[in-house]
Amino acid sequence: DATKGTAGDCQPCPCPSGATCAVVPKTREVVCTNCPAGTTGKRCELCDDGFFGDPLGQEGPVRACRACKCSDNIDPNAVGNCHRETGECLKCIYNTAGFFCDRCQEGFYGNALAANPSDKCKPCACSPFGTVDQQTSCSQVTGQCSCLPNIAERDCSACEPGFYNLHSGKGCEQCKCNPIGSTN
Amino acid sequence: GPTPRPDVQPLPPGTHLLYAQSGRIEHVPLEGYNMKREEAKTLLHLPEKVVIGVAYDCVDKMVYWTEISSPSISRASIQGGEPAPVITSDIDSPEGITIDHLSRTMFWTDSMKDRIEVASLDGAQRKVIIDTDLVNPRAIVCDPPSGYLYWADWNREAPKIEASYMDGSNRRVLVKDDLGLPNGLTYDSQTAQLCWADAATHKLECMNPGRSDRRQLLDGLQYPFGMANFGKNLYYTDWKRDAVVAVDRYTGKESEEFQPQKRTKLYGLTAAYSQCLQGQNYCGVN
Repeated sequence: DATKGTAGDCQPCPCPSGATCAVVPKTREVVCTNCPAGTTGKRCELCDDGFFGDPLGQEGPVRACRACKCSDNIDPNAVGNCHRETGECLKCIYNTAGFFCDRCQEGFYGNALAANPSDKCKPCACSPFGTVDQQTSCSQVTGQCSCLPNIAERDCSACEPGFYNLHSGKGCEQCKCNPIGSTN
Repeated sequence: GPTPRPDVQPLPPGTHLLYAQSGRIEHVPLEGYNMKREEAKTLLHLPEKVVIGVAYDCVDKMVYWTEISSPSISRASIQGGEPAPVITSDIDSPEGITIDHLSRTMFWTDSMKDRIEVASLDGAQRKVIIDTDLVNPRAIVCDPPSGYLYWADWNREAPKIEASYMDGSNRRVLVKDDLGLPNGLTYDSQTAQLCWADAATHKLECMNPGRSDRRQLLDGLQYPFGMANFGKNLYYTDWKRDAVVAVDRYTGKESEEFQPQKRTKLYGLTAAYSQCLQGQNYCGVN
């Protein structure tokens, strides 16, 4: 406030070098109006969209703004791909999930970090008849669904040899064929 | 003397382009169709926000914007009013926004909820009008006199431009072939031209939605994002050039480029007219 007539009327902007600032009259809050490239915020403490970091070191050491790190599992045409401070990935694609889009989404399995999108995460597609509690999720790595008793296959879609009645919902039952009258 | 409010600056009379750039909404006045770049200024400082879409209500002279850092839709008078939120809940990644100044409603796309919604300008009477077959809905525009809504979905597997009535009925695909990332869309009621800018095919194309007379206006675009039109010109923001680019619709040539001082991505773009276009639609009647 240059109208008070004291030596401390004008103070330097609390902004990184080169940035200008202004006072919001109602709240008397000082905000920076011309933050350095790639940064924004009242004090130039935030990174632009698509970048993350802590350019002023408010939460610890200074971390310069850098592009979202999401294991190549985001689309550069999207907006808001990661959290501007933590870098948490917010728009994972190819059925991936996780802080860095580095694992498969619930209900999918495979290698989220595979180079080719078609090799990344495939749907578990567990058989509703053969899977415990009709679960839709499977082992992240192998894709094995958790099968009811005497059921085989990754997706629990078939009875083990010598068993039948997959659709019972309780697992497969033994065939109990008479060994004398049966061919196998 | 005391500094003026840094977060709100009134807009002088005339037509302006409003565009979003890193925590603020800026404006550049138009003189005829030329951008008066030396008079470009900040309209709103929104330092913690990531503003994506901007729209203008010519009746109340308010600017509306979508914002994704604390997902919401807000508005402020361009004559120096306070920013005020209008939609703050049940919204994940609002992107495009358009205003039907006749029926006093706004429409927006949400790229995480994958839907299109409508609400009155104060946020009341909210309703989802499209919630199927959307993957990456972004640009949305309306034609209040005819009651049509147009939007683009940049789904890389199957990008498309669609149309429906303003209640979501009579939905149909207008364009699906030879599209890549149709980020920008604009409609001119006077000439019935729907134009779009594609960041993957690098083309600027137009059509009359009732005639399917699609044609290319310009190619070699770098990375278009937002789009608007005024009179003979189309305008788009470009992520690679960090600029607003003007294209003459009749010659199909780029006529001007405005690169703001700050070198960072420009997002949504809209034209703020000094007067509304005349007209009335069925939503305004009942």
